[in-house]
Amino acid sequence: MKVLRIIVKDLKIVLSDRQALIITLLMPLVLMTILSMALKGSFMSSDDTGMEKIPVALVKQYDKGADSEIFVKTLEERLKINISGDEVNPEEMFFDDFLGNPEVSKLIDYRVEEENRAKDLLNEGEISAIIILPDKYIYDMKISLLTPFRNNADLKVLTHPDRPVAGEIVTSLMEAYTNTMSSVIIGKNVLIESASANDIGGDGFDNIDEIMEGMADLVAGTNVNIDNVTVEGRRSIKSSEYYAAAMMTMFLLFAAGQGGRMLLEEKDNQTYQRMVIADISKTHILAGKFIVIFLIASLQIFIMLAYSHFALKVKWGNMIPILVLSTASAFSVAGLGIFIASLTYRAGNYRLANAFENVIIQVMAFVGGSFFPIDVMPEVIRRMSFISLNGVALKAYLKIIVGYNLADILKHVSILAITGILLTLIGVVIFNKGVSENA
Amino acid sequence: MLKVENLYKNFGNIAAVDGISFEVKRGEVFGLLGPNGAGKSTTISIISTLLPPTEGEIFFEGESIFKNSKNLRQKLGIVPQDIALYPTLTGYENLRFWGNLYGLKGAELKERINEVADIIGLNERLKDKVKKYSGGMKRRLNIGAALLHKPDLLIMDEPTVGIDPQSRSHILDTVLKLSAQGMTIIYTTHYMEEAEELCSRICIMDEGKIIASGTKQELVELVKERTRINIKLDKITGNMPQIFKEIPGVSDAAVLDDTVTLFGENGDILLAEIISRISEEKSKIRSLDIQKPDLEAVFLHLTGKALRD
Repeated sequence: MKVLRIIVKDLKIVLSDRQALIITLLMPLVLMTILSMALKGSFMSSDDTGMEKIPVALVKQYDKGADSEIFVKTLEERLKINISGDEVNPEEMFFDDFLGNPEVSKLIDYRVEEENRAKDLLNEGEISAIIILPDKYIYDMKISLLTPFRNNADLKVLTHPDRPVAGEIVTSLMEAYTNTMSSVIIGKNVLIESASANDIGGDGFDNIDEIMEGMADLVAGTNVNIDNVTVEGRRSIKSSEYYAAAMMTMFLLFAAGQGGRMLLEEKDNQTYQRMVIADISKTHILAGKFIVIFLIASLQIFIMLAYSHFALKVKWGNMIPILVLSTASAFSVAGLGIFIASLTYRAGNYRLANAFENVIIQVMAFVGGSFFPIDVMPEVIRRMSFISLNGVALKAYLKIIVGYNLADILKHVSILAITGILLTLIGVVIFNKGVSENA
Repeated sequence: MLKVENLYKNFGNIAAVDGISFEVKRGEVFGLLGPNGAGKSTTISIISTLLPPTEGEIFFEGESIFKNSKNLRQKLGIVPQDIALYPTLTGYENLRFWGNLYGLKGAELKERINEVADIIGLNERLKDKVKKYSGGMKRRLNIGAALLHKPDLLIMDEPTVGIDPQSRSHILDTVLKLSAQGMTIIYTTHYMEEAEELCSRICIMDEGKIIASGTKQELVELVKERTRINIKLDKITGNMPQIFKEIPGVSDAAVLDDTVTLFGENGDILLAEIISRISEEKSKIRSLDIQKPDLEAVFLHLTGKALRD
């Protein structure tokens, strides 16, 4: 009951602190709104400055030899033309001319894989996307490039929902490639039609390579399509969804910072001593602070979820995993708050709490992906994201948004819960030691 | 009611409390008088169970407070030297919180808050946030928070430091009222006038030790032959204390700010010589008064320095 009194009192104090409310509640709402709006168009665009190459797997569903044979046979049977078609090599155009292009190779690091293996790699997060060159790709491309006909050759790009930016970069590159190819195909058709109209006949094909190169700038519709899907049918993240989760998980850390000052403030105010004399145990005092931080973090989450849902139209997904994850996030933040509070109490000054708010939160936000999606960060930072509470929580929130279930985020929930417990226990030990040293 | 036996508290090599013993009787106002740094607050912290002693024992109602602190804590009210309140809460919310911690609730708590507000004279301001209070009002509320659970023993640690005369007077009246109601009070101060006015028995502390104790009368007996002469001068020269001590009949001399305090057996006779020496030092007298022996004189007599040095 006495713990409840302490909690009510602390909540009143926190809620009467206008500056703290601005930082913990208002600022994340403002930032998530601004970032969602400002990055609406550019969120999915690539920015190769300082970016690591995106790991991509290429799957060849076609059989090059068989496709070439079918092409020769088809031309013989339908058009009574006997050509090998070797002067056009769609595989070389894609792998050497396109992927080998210095600009493209700066962005993509590809390897050819068998289809199932590639999907496993994607699910494991080893690669960010799969490009599938479909069955009869060589045949369809030769038909489109060397005959008056157009065959569809649908490139497929499979992306990972956890790496929306990388996925979108790969998709954009494939679109650029297919647009170029479409221009070439249309140019070829114009050439053939012109040759036919002017009765040039077979001579029109003599210069086809040269003309095809010159026609690359043509802009028109395409018969080569991109089919962009994400693994297991998950949907992609929107900028508003990403930054709603990113800002929420980042600003939760400020609740820990705020809680980190509470014990020393009580001591400085002499109210801690007065509570001890009133026979309130250290355990009660610490438990009160823990619950207060937990409640502040929960309130932050509730307000940010509600605001982003109604104002920014963020679809957070299934509420049960959201509830479980939010509880685990608030719990870990409370543990972090107690850890900081105990260290601050022991130090007897606010330097650590200040450093946490001014430096450590910023580092954790960067490493955790609150400023910029970590899937375009170097591998080291991607791995470090698991040491930041906000990074773990952010990953799990994004998973729920794209359609994962509770079972899929249990690893994240466990990390948050265990971190919360460990930090609390360490905090209790530090606090007890600090109290006895002060005594 | 409370017995302190051979109490020691060391902070490193510094002996903050150096083997003190005293007893506080039920219903009395017991004064701990001494300059800043004398060890009063450390003693209070040990009695309040906030600090463990290096050595010694304290008994409350016959039971060691170090073996069982619960009985003492339930019956103890503490008014710390600093304001131990929440500035962003109202006066009422502060009193309610501290009342809650002592197990008061509902109508009983409300009634008690009203009673305490009467005692400290803050009925009209309880709805205001404490940060809007004057220094004196905060001090009064600080006292009120210690009274809610009707403690048997009230410890007041320098409750009048840094406040206006009106609030100070109100606090002293409050202490007298509480004493009249039978409350046992330990009152620490470095203002000898407060100790003289309030306390039935006084311990004078200096450098962690008790240098004298007893009723005011008993203490003054120690220096009954001494008259106190306070002379306010326009300038003080460095060797003035020594010059005055050399005057036959002057037993002690001390300087505080622009005032020289002298002690002697017959002030009237000494005056002519004193004025002559001041004139020789080319200083001018701004005011002069002669007082009968008091606790200041006792302290000076026992330690060789003024109480407020």
